[in-house]
Amino acid sequence: MAEKKSDVLQGTLDLMVLKTLHAMGPLHGFGIARRIEQLSKDVLQLNEGTVYTSLLRLQQQGWIDSKWGTSENNRKARFYSITRKGTRQLELETENWERIAAVIGRVLRLERQG
Amino acid sequence: MRWLRLWAAKAMGLLTGKRLNREFEAEIESHLQLLTERYLRQGMSRAEADTAARRQFGNVAVLQEKQRAQWSFASPAEWFGDIRFGLRMMRKKPWSNAAVVLALALGIGMNVAVFSFVNALLLRPPEGVTAMGSLLEIWLHSRTSTGVQSYMPFTYPDYAYYRDQSRALEGVLAFDGDGAPTIWNRSGQGQVIQGQLVSGNYFSLLGVHAILGRTISSGDDQTVSPHPVVVLSHSFWQHELGSDPGIVGRTLVLNGAAFSVIGVAPPGFAGLLVGSAPDFWAPLTLQEQFTHDKERLTNRHGYWLIVAGRMRPGIDARNVRAEMHVLAHQLELNYPDSNKDMDAMVYPATLVPGPYREYVSAFTGLLLAVFALVLAIACTNAASLLLARATGRTREMAIRSALGAGRARLIRQMLVESLLLSAIAGLAGVILAWWFARLLLELKPATLPIALEVPLDWRVLLFALLVSVATGILFGLVPALRSAAVNAAPVLKEETQSAGLRKSRLRSLLLIGEIAACVVLLAGATLCVRSLMHANTIDPGFDTQHIAVATLDPGTLGYSPEKVDAFYRQLMGRVQALPGVTAASYVNHLPLGTSREATSASRHIGQDPDRIRVDVFRVDPGYFSTMGIALLSGRDFTQRESDSPEAGVVIVNEMLARKLWPAQNSVGKRIALGGEKATSEVIGVVKSGKYRTLGEGPVAVVFRGTLPPARTLVIRTSADARPLLDEVRRTVQVVDPMMAATGTQTIEEYMSLPLFPARTTGLLLGASGILAVTLTAIGLFGVIAYVVSQRTHEIGVRMALGAQPTDVLKIVMRQGMYVTSIGLCIGLVGAFGAARLLAPLLYGIGVNDPVTLIGVAAGVMAVAMLACYVPARRAMRVDPAVALRYE
Repeated sequence: MAEKKSDVLQGTLDLMVLKTLHAMGPLHGFGIARRIEQLSKDVLQLNEGTVYTSLLRLQQQGWIDSKWGTSENNRKARFYSITRKGTRQLELETENWERIAAVIGRVLRLERQG
Repeated sequence: MRWLRLWAAKAMGLLTGKRLNREFEAEIESHLQLLTERYLRQGMSRAEADTAARRQFGNVAVLQEKQRAQWSFASPAEWFGDIRFGLRMMRKKPWSNAAVVLALALGIGMNVAVFSFVNALLLRPPEGVTAMGSLLEIWLHSRTSTGVQSYMPFTYPDYAYYRDQSRALEGVLAFDGDGAPTIWNRSGQGQVIQGQLVSGNYFSLLGVHAILGRTISSGDDQTVSPHPVVVLSHSFWQHELGSDPGIVGRTLVLNGAAFSVIGVAPPGFAGLLVGSAPDFWAPLTLQEQFTHDKERLTNRHGYWLIVAGRMRPGIDARNVRAEMHVLAHQLELNYPDSNKDMDAMVYPATLVPGPYREYVSAFTGLLLAVFALVLAIACTNAASLLLARATGRTREMAIRSALGAGRARLIRQMLVESLLLSAIAGLAGVILAWWFARLLLELKPATLPIALEVPLDWRVLLFALLVSVATGILFGLVPALRSAAVNAAPVLKEETQSAGLRKSRLRSLLLIGEIAACVVLLAGATLCVRSLMHANTIDPGFDTQHIAVATLDPGTLGYSPEKVDAFYRQLMGRVQALPGVTAASYVNHLPLGTSREATSASRHIGQDPDRIRVDVFRVDPGYFSTMGIALLSGRDFTQRESDSPEAGVVIVNEMLARKLWPAQNSVGKRIALGGEKATSEVIGVVKSGKYRTLGEGPVAVVFRGTLPPARTLVIRTSADARPLLDEVRRTVQVVDPMMAATGTQTIEEYMSLPLFPARTTGLLLGASGILAVTLTAIGLFGVIAYVVSQRTHEIGVRMALGAQPTDVLKIVMRQGMYVTSIGLCIGLVGAFGAARLLAPLLYGIGVNDPVTLIGVAAGVMAVAMLACYVPARRAMRVDPAVALRYE
């Protein structure tokens, strides 16, 4: 099973985390991991620990913020939320990603036809 | 900008690290719990759920490690841990580490010592001078000759012209490069002190201000009625005058004339010339009081002034150079007689005068190269030791990497260990360097009037630091890369270690290089030592024992010629009466010293194509018998002949006799000496000797009478001359309390001057050679011993299968000798090349002296065999039963 999942592309995890926070509002690490799991429908294999590395990276860039709060089942948890700078960055990255994806898509289609 | 924010975050992390760690752990903990709960809900058992949660989360330790790395710099605590671990590793093998540190310390120490001389001579600016950067030295340069002889100091008229005409230079200063030995009348007793004559603008252009009173001004230094004033050096004021605060305005009697003290120079200031440390400075225009030469200020042929100028703001050296060429050309046109083909050269001002700097740098550069090679050998030793050790630590590295240490982390750990070694060695090296430098200064003949400061200042310490770090990285990097490239899985699974072929090949290469370097060094060292031994046996043409010498100059006291003669007559009478004295005489200066007088000689007056250059010595009767110079034919001077300028008699050496009158008896022949209107009669021929340097070819020499006031007294004794020295000093003061003899010494001590260059080089290179051999032997021994210990199992098997101990010996020896032979061949080729660099320093042996090369090769081979034999013996005694059980 495990072999069929693709490893998360370097750098794309940050983008996914940002998008998740943008779409869902403040979330804790476990929630983010669940959301990504849900959306990727088991296509992507993820060591959930790496989400935290990504969170720290984003936080050090000032793209997300964190606050301690209480989770739905009354546990103390750290909630992450996207900042204004993060939103701008997300737009930029999304654009970037789409452009690259489009190019790669075109190249791959070309291959198939040729 | 981004890295800045990251750094800021890391800096924040430094402050809040502990809290961040705690919070992060809590976060992970709750995440894991949530995951576990989910699996429990799916119906797993508690244990299963735990495992599944951990699997899904990934390696917690690695994550924490990464996280920490991200919010911190490599933390000081981590470095500290590395260092502590390194120290612990060092304590585990104290002896081999001590050996490495000692070898490196010697290598670093020698390099730092040599560099401290480079610094003292070439890098250090003169102390106390603020305007050094804008100072330029100017030298006269004769276009018709080459080498160091083509550069000349200035004459006073030339100096005055440059000083008054230059526009690019704000001012031009001059000082007497030779110094002025002066007799100071210290309450009735004569004491010789050193003065320096300087131009009136000297202190102001250098930016040196008196700490007491004032410095010499242009007003003091007028050509017409100059002021008899002196500025004292700080150390003279301190040591001889007890730091008298009221010294300004007082009078010193120098050379029999009164000078008033106008100021004291700042501490440390010793002028612009390396090696000179004047006790006082006096105006240039007072030179007659010190040199007894009336003409010097007008003489266009007397070259005695070292000249430097300060550039105007906005002017650079190129402008000055151009202007100096123009001025030189103007002088050439105005005074073709003296200034024809005379150019002016410009150098940045340093303690060593410009024209000599390249020789000094070439010599010190050679020494640095030699000791860099020694250090390289020490490095190879350390590297091969660490390599061997790295093999032993493969398991440790494998475990570390399995626990999550990255490659960079492992390299860092290993480098910290090697840097620790080199840091300790560097520290010890600086101490050794301080000691070496003192030792080298001790070698300087006491009579050489040179005061050299060799401070361990920041430049030297920086050099030591750089060398130590470079050394540590150099010998640590290869082993570090090697051990970091460990592949954990196979190492951890397998117990036996295969002796990696690649590793042993690298070690062999290191060894080959080491042996080659050792051969080069040893060949160079042996050449120098042999030449030194040779120099000691060179016959200087006079006896080198049972002779005492002393230098006297009553001329400095301004005595009339009659008074000078009376003094010398009285002194001679008393000296000859001293117990143990068998003969005594005077000479103007001894051969092989720093003074020289020369003229030309031929058979006829006027133009003679056979005119040859001859050196001149002026002697009193009895000089030849006192010095043990054989009179081959004819007779010695009489006292009357030697006193009278019109005597018209000379004695020649064998070389001159053979040149002018080949195959004839030259006694009774007439000789025409340069510039003289009448010929002189040759009354005797003496055996040739050495006159300028020990290494010179035959030189033609004329001996004649009429000694100047400055003379050297030579005394022959029946036994050791040393006890006589004090008697001689006392006798001089008895005859005239105002007189003081300088350079009172035995002839053996005197000979240390001409032998100084060869002795110093010989000693330094000898030390480097011995060091190189010792280090190489240790290196070879260490590696072979290591190989033997690695092959114990194999040797055991061989012996169990019937190999004889001698077979084992052969196997081990073959491995060592193979490496040695290759290194030897490469080294001999290198030695051929290196010997050419040494050629100018060698006396009487060829550059590619076969005896030396064969001897060195045999010696290295013998040492190598010994270094291999000891471990090989151990291999022979391996008990097969024990060896096979061993693994």
